[in-house]
Amino acid sequence: MPRWGMVIDVKRCIACWGCTIACKEEHFLPPRVFFNRVLIGETGKFPTSSKLIYPILCNHCTDAACVEACPTGATYIREDGIVVVDDDKCVGCRACLVSCPYQQRTYYDQKVKDREFFPGQGKTEMELIGEKLYPLKVGTVIKCNFCSERVDGGLKRGLTPGTDDEATPACVIACPVGARVFGDLSDPESEVSRLIMEKKGKQLRPEFGTEPSVYYID
Amino acid sequence: MTYKTDEIWEDKWVNTTCGVCYCGCAARVRVVNGVPVKIEGIKESTMGGTGAGLCGKGIAGLMYYHDPSRIKKPLRRTNPEKGFGVDPKWKEIEWDEALEEISTKMKKIMEDNPNKILFTNQTMRASDGPHNHLYFYAKAFGVPNNGNFIIGGGSLHCGNAAHMLGGLIHGAWSIAPDWRYTKYVLKWGSSKGTGSGHSAMTNARLRADGVRRGIKEIVFDPMGNFAGGKATQWVPLLPGTDTAVGLAMANYILNIRGEIDELYLRAKTNFVYLIREDGTFIRDKETDKPFVFDERAKKIKVFDDPSIAFEDFALEGDFEIDGEKCRPCFMALKEHLKQFTPEWASKISTVPVGTILEVAKGWVDNAQIGSSITIEGQTFPYRPVSSVTFRGSQGHSNGIHQVASIDLISQLVGAEDVPGGTMGWPSIRRKYPGGEYERLPKVGKDGVIVPSVFYSHDPWPVHAPSYPCTNSGCVEFWSHSTLSHIPYVKEKDYIQEKFGVEKVKPEMIFGIAVNFLISNSDWDVALENFKDCFVVLSDIWVNETDQAIGDIILPDTSYLEKDTWSSEIDSFFFNGSPSYEDWYVHLQNPVAKPVGESRDFMNVYLDVANRVGVLDKYHELLNQYYSISDETLKLKPGEVLNWKEIGERVLKWVYGDDKEKIQEQGFATWHKPIEDVYWRWNMPTRCPVYMEFLIHDRRAAEKIMKDTGFELEMEMDQYGPLPDWFWPTSHKELDDEYDLLAFSYRDVLHTNNSTFQNPLIDEVSQMSPYTFTITLNKGLAAEKGFKDGDIIWMENKYGTKENGIVKTMEAQHPKVLGVCGQGGLWADKRPIAKGKGSNFCKLLPSYLRHYDPITGNIETSVAVKIYKG
Repeated sequence: MPRWGMVIDVKRCIACWGCTIACKEEHFLPPRVFFNRVLIGETGKFPTSSKLIYPILCNHCTDAACVEACPTGATYIREDGIVVVDDDKCVGCRACLVSCPYQQRTYYDQKVKDREFFPGQGKTEMELIGEKLYPLKVGTVIKCNFCSERVDGGLKRGLTPGTDDEATPACVIACPVGARVFGDLSDPESEVSRLIMEKKGKQLRPEFGTEPSVYYID
Repeated sequence: MTYKTDEIWEDKWVNTTCGVCYCGCAARVRVVNGVPVKIEGIKESTMGGTGAGLCGKGIAGLMYYHDPSRIKKPLRRTNPEKGFGVDPKWKEIEWDEALEEISTKMKKIMEDNPNKILFTNQTMRASDGPHNHLYFYAKAFGVPNNGNFIIGGGSLHCGNAAHMLGGLIHGAWSIAPDWRYTKYVLKWGSSKGTGSGHSAMTNARLRADGVRRGIKEIVFDPMGNFAGGKATQWVPLLPGTDTAVGLAMANYILNIRGEIDELYLRAKTNFVYLIREDGTFIRDKETDKPFVFDERAKKIKVFDDPSIAFEDFALEGDFEIDGEKCRPCFMALKEHLKQFTPEWASKISTVPVGTILEVAKGWVDNAQIGSSITIEGQTFPYRPVSSVTFRGSQGHSNGIHQVASIDLISQLVGAEDVPGGTMGWPSIRRKYPGGEYERLPKVGKDGVIVPSVFYSHDPWPVHAPSYPCTNSGCVEFWSHSTLSHIPYVKEKDYIQEKFGVEKVKPEMIFGIAVNFLISNSDWDVALENFKDCFVVLSDIWVNETDQAIGDIILPDTSYLEKDTWSSEIDSFFFNGSPSYEDWYVHLQNPVAKPVGESRDFMNVYLDVANRVGVLDKYHELLNQYYSISDETLKLKPGEVLNWKEIGERVLKWVYGDDKEKIQEQGFATWHKPIEDVYWRWNMPTRCPVYMEFLIHDRRAAEKIMKDTGFELEMEMDQYGPLPDWFWPTSHKELDDEYDLLAFSYRDVLHTNNSTFQNPLIDEVSQMSPYTFTITLNKGLAAEKGFKDGDIIWMENKYGTKENGIVKTMEAQHPKVLGVCGQGGLWADKRPIAKGKGSNFCKLLPSYLRHYDPITGNIETSVAVKIYKG
């Protein structure tokens, strides 16, 4: 069984926000809801300061705090390592939201659902179709699912996640500079494993102890 | 992802071309039930980012279709008063009424003088209708050149100096590093490869691969954000002082280190041409060709005498022709550069002496002068160093000297259009296999390249300043301006009167998607200069210019609704890959039906041309432009076709039997021969690095100024043959009170101001720390008592002010303020854009002295004081 993971090459990343916006279109997310974001900051002092860019998403932790916090078992880790929320079981208590040290979860309530991209002008056809194509359940917590629909759908069609676009997360496909690589962390020969090994991939804030499946190289 | 239900009757992908910025990247759109819902790149095409990658703003382009604020019917202003804050009192009218009014007006003006009509467009949507079509559309009306264009968008901030030099040196619109083979890149006020500039995503992909390969990238820029923030080394400097650093580096290379590519300089530059004492070339009386000295034969010959071997062209020596003393102009360069010491450059630019020397040393060390590389069996000189500039460094009142000094360092080591070096955008476009359309540059007077295609007038051969001028742009006098600045200049009336233009006072503006009132310089000057015109603009929204002075606004289709075969056929030198990889050309296929009654502006233009009676002329120009010789495909007199029908003919000519296949696929790719990429040594051209023509132009200009009693301040010393140091106007206006230089920059999320109305872009802009703020160096902010979130005013010496929110950062020069260009918008019909960010452009004073006297580029930094709001 594979364990899906991602490597993000911050040296390549130019902070164009393609991942963020592609993810929103993929999942028809309402205004101000993000499964992918880009953190921008800097370190050091003038004139030798450096810009810091960290594209972030759910880390799909192996020892996930959100899973531990969930009282109903709605949040769970699939066999392939993807952390998902079963919205039939989620009661919207938001314990996961508080427990996630990476702040990657959003509570989806009616107010969020009612948001319009063009406030006061009604929902666009895109927003309305999105509600049919990608229905989100009011009163539950939503988050990045590593595009499990693409991964699962692709596998069913004999495609390889990380290699074939249709079986690979939308943010990976969208990146114009090839900064994201998706693949099987349990396979030492996979590109993600090779990059982590060769480029000394680092997890974000490993001190949280949740063992993320998203690695960063620079 | 597809959660299919019974309600979904269509779910498909359509290949098209992105229209969010002028790059026109490959894009495909997911369409569900006729509604566009997602955008990505096209993996199968070489164009654009890695795989199916596309930048954030390109992906967000969907919202241009969905925006409920789109104009759905033509609008007529009913309030005769114009100005900021005036309600135009729009009334919806029928298309026929609008077009009849426009054409009647045009016919009347044309009976008098067609030059009274100003044609205009904006670089925001180049892929929707290449500029060239509009230029010869204007020609069909009898408007001869670029003088009657006023420009919005990229505006006079962007390009006049860079394009002039790109044309003269590379026969190209712009320059980029050869990312595939370079090792050492200097970027001067340019974000090429980090999300902006031409072919933005193609370059970003190539750069990312290069960076992983270990390229060292050094960025000279007032701020360490997009380019500087990603650089191996960011070197902060004051805006407009790149020339000083460039000249000091050139001095190091030539006079201190003394390592140059002599063979290149002898063979590929005009540095070997002999000059007399006053700096002008000595020419053969019969042929008018400049003389050179053949060292082997010890003889004076004309420069293109086939009997001289490259290595025998003299770079140095004292000679005599008909009793007149002369020497190669290279000697003048050598002496000229000696004054530019690193210490001097450091004082001007604030770049430490050690840094200048270290970068210059790195440049020479990496240039590998004398080395060669064999690629695909062909051997080329190998110079893995590249020095590129763009909007930031060239947008100053000393613009031509900025770009010329930055180019000079590449010239000295022979790193021009060879593997690893500084590349022009493609200047050669070979025909598609089986097709007919081809564009090849020519070798012109004095051996200088003549671009195969160029927007506005060609940079070569140069035209000496002359008068009387025949149009409001006065391009006969400002003969090097790619696009004329005069319509925006405060003293416009005085200039036009002196140069005999008063007879063509503009009466009408006919434009596409422009917001020129707020996107160039001082808004009040622009309003005053344009408000009396009858203004007809085509756009998808009512923007600030429309609201303030528009008379008729025509609803255009967005790029997602267009069937635009013409996207890139002739903008290869603008959107193509500067590197060695396949040619690509993309079509713009409609992915959705036009919103409301909107119509593609090209069809509207054809309709107007027909009503005015110039359609046959336009057809003739189009036939000429594409060199269509097949009688069955030629557009004929009397025919009335729409843009798609015209495309059927042109595409057949361009692609031959593959036309249908390419239309269905949405794009074409084909092999680009390596010798067309690294063409420098295959074409008998010479770079006019010694700009001798400027000596003559100065004489001509000064005579005209004297004859006409023209007394406005112009820095005529800039008309010199060698790159030299001139203080930008903004620096001259610094004092104890106005103590900071404000500058603007391109944010990867934004294209001029059109992207401010896109909610997907807006919400991430709000998460980005710098996009909607005024950035200040942290130390400076502390000194002035400002902190993050403070509202401050920036005010220039002329009393114009703009406010914004402070964001402090370390990576910014402590004497500057940074603003992401064109925010501070207020059009009522663009509610997402309204109030976001700050408008930098209005702070730019628009007196003639604020423009580059040679190219017409506006000074894009400005002395300001700041205070709490």
